[in-house]
Amino acid sequence: MARSEGDVAALGPTESLSRREPGPFDRLLSSVLRGERTWASHLLVAPTSAWLVVFLLAPILLILIMSFTARGPYGMLLWRFTTANYVRALTPAYLPILLRSLGYAGATTALCLLLGYPFAYALSFYFEERRGMLIILLMLPFWTSCLVAIYSWIIVLGREGLVNELLVHRFGLLSAPIQFLNRPATVIGGLVYFYLPFMVLPLYGSLEKVPHSYIEAAKDLGANPFQTFWRVTWPLSLPGVYAGSILTFIPCVGDFLTAEFLGGPRTYLLGNLIQNQFQMAQDWPFGSAMAMILVALLAGGLLLYQRLERQGVEAGRV
Amino acid sequence: MRRAPGWLKAYCGGIYTFLYLPMGVMMAFSFNSAHRNVAWAGFTFRWYVKLFHDAQWAQALGTSLELAVSAAVISAALGLLASYAMARHSDFRGKRAYASLLNVPMMMPEVILGVGLLTFFVRAHLRLSFWTLVVSHVVFCLPYATGTIRARLMSLKQSSFEEAAMDLGATEWQAFKRVTFPLAWPAIFSGAVLAFTVSFEDFVTTFFVAGIGTVTMPIKIYSMMKFGITPEVNALATLLLLLTAAGLLAHYLLAGER
Repeated sequence: MARSEGDVAALGPTESLSRREPGPFDRLLSSVLRGERTWASHLLVAPTSAWLVVFLLAPILLILIMSFTARGPYGMLLWRFTTANYVRALTPAYLPILLRSLGYAGATTALCLLLGYPFAYALSFYFEERRGMLIILLMLPFWTSCLVAIYSWIIVLGREGLVNELLVHRFGLLSAPIQFLNRPATVIGGLVYFYLPFMVLPLYGSLEKVPHSYIEAAKDLGANPFQTFWRVTWPLSLPGVYAGSILTFIPCVGDFLTAEFLGGPRTYLLGNLIQNQFQMAQDWPFGSAMAMILVALLAGGLLLYQRLERQGVEAGRV
Repeated sequence: MRRAPGWLKAYCGGIYTFLYLPMGVMMAFSFNSAHRNVAWAGFTFRWYVKLFHDAQWAQALGTSLELAVSAAVISAALGLLASYAMARHSDFRGKRAYASLLNVPMMMPEVILGVGLLTFFVRAHLRLSFWTLVVSHVVFCLPYATGTIRARLMSLKQSSFEEAAMDLGATEWQAFKRVTFPLAWPAIFSGAVLAFTVSFEDFVTTFFVAGIGTVTMPIKIYSMMKFGITPEVNALATLLLLLTAAGLLAHYLLAGER
């Protein structure tokens, strides 16, 4: 406790802590705070859990149920059981979107890992004196609104954006502007830009925990830098790799703003499809089925993560 | 400590440039006096002045602030109660289930939260309004508020101030009121500030459950973005970015007090 002086001041004069017999209200609250009985703990946790059950789990359950219903006229629901919405997701009209989402999300995750790993490595093993500052500089893009991130790329890459302005008007290198937007590479680039911090932070979290003595030991035992990395550092950083990959892959599949602004209908992802079914097409049952596919991907990812981590622990890598 | 090799420094510099360059360009051009183009034509505050004279924008800012404050206060209050039980009470039944429940909003893609809540409110015959928006924002603010408060309550557990208070005759409630709460206050406030920031800049969930009458700042930016790049959007997005940065800075400074 470095700030004990201030902490003590916050206590106030000790004699004001009452010594008289506590009232019934005081006794009740005290027994809740003491938490000897389970009901007391549940009482404190109840408002938060109730909120999450009612406004998070119940809605997800509702769209699960709705995904097995049919759409009636005027966007109404017909309450009869059908798996037609899921079958429809696999028809040639929608399957490409599903596969594209997986492909884009996979490419984004791979690129984030490739770009982010050396960066996270450098943050955890070098720059000791400026590390705090560098981490804070990474947190700001992490928390930035995706809307602002995408908008700033439109300014740079748009038809009348900065790059075209410089190339065409300022330097006269080109006669016509380059079309950057509405290309798969730009959409993936935008996704990499926004999700890179989601990959780097977990990577940093696990690389930072790698004991330097292990690396020294490997060196002393005659390992070259490559062997040291491949046999020591990389296996120890795997939990961060898994966590970062899930945190990048799943939101990418569900992203709809990037493709909406940096791409076009040819680059639409599962997120665009869900948004479209709920807001334009008014086919909520089909939209729900798409949403449940995304939830299933998330659940699968988490199960895989748990499994891989347990294997890691069993293999003694912790 | 080893010195970083030059290429690694350059690489990290490159990553930071990649992360900050577009936003820097946007901020710079929000002070550009040219109307349509990204060609620099001189420094001006005109777009900000114009924003502040725009009644619609002022209303969007007001709505966003009200929404973020409400969501932050509710999630900090609920989060404090839950964090106390999580940090202080010995393992009770359901503790682990509860801890995983609290992780769900962070893992869940926002589009799912958005369409789920939209469906829920419509099926429950609740009219979409400012309050349905508050309820929705609390869902994803809760983990952030709770995380910050719980960390502080855990670290306070190690200090012996409460024990000292109780040795001097205070009941648990008195010790909480006079000792724990004042000492945890910076973290409670810092958790609320983080929740405020997350709520203030949220677009996706808001987009689905806002209804027609409620326009927040991100919703306003979105509808303006549909018409392309304008200096007003540059200014608006810059303000959103700066407010986010200020919120985060406040959060870290307050949380760093432990």
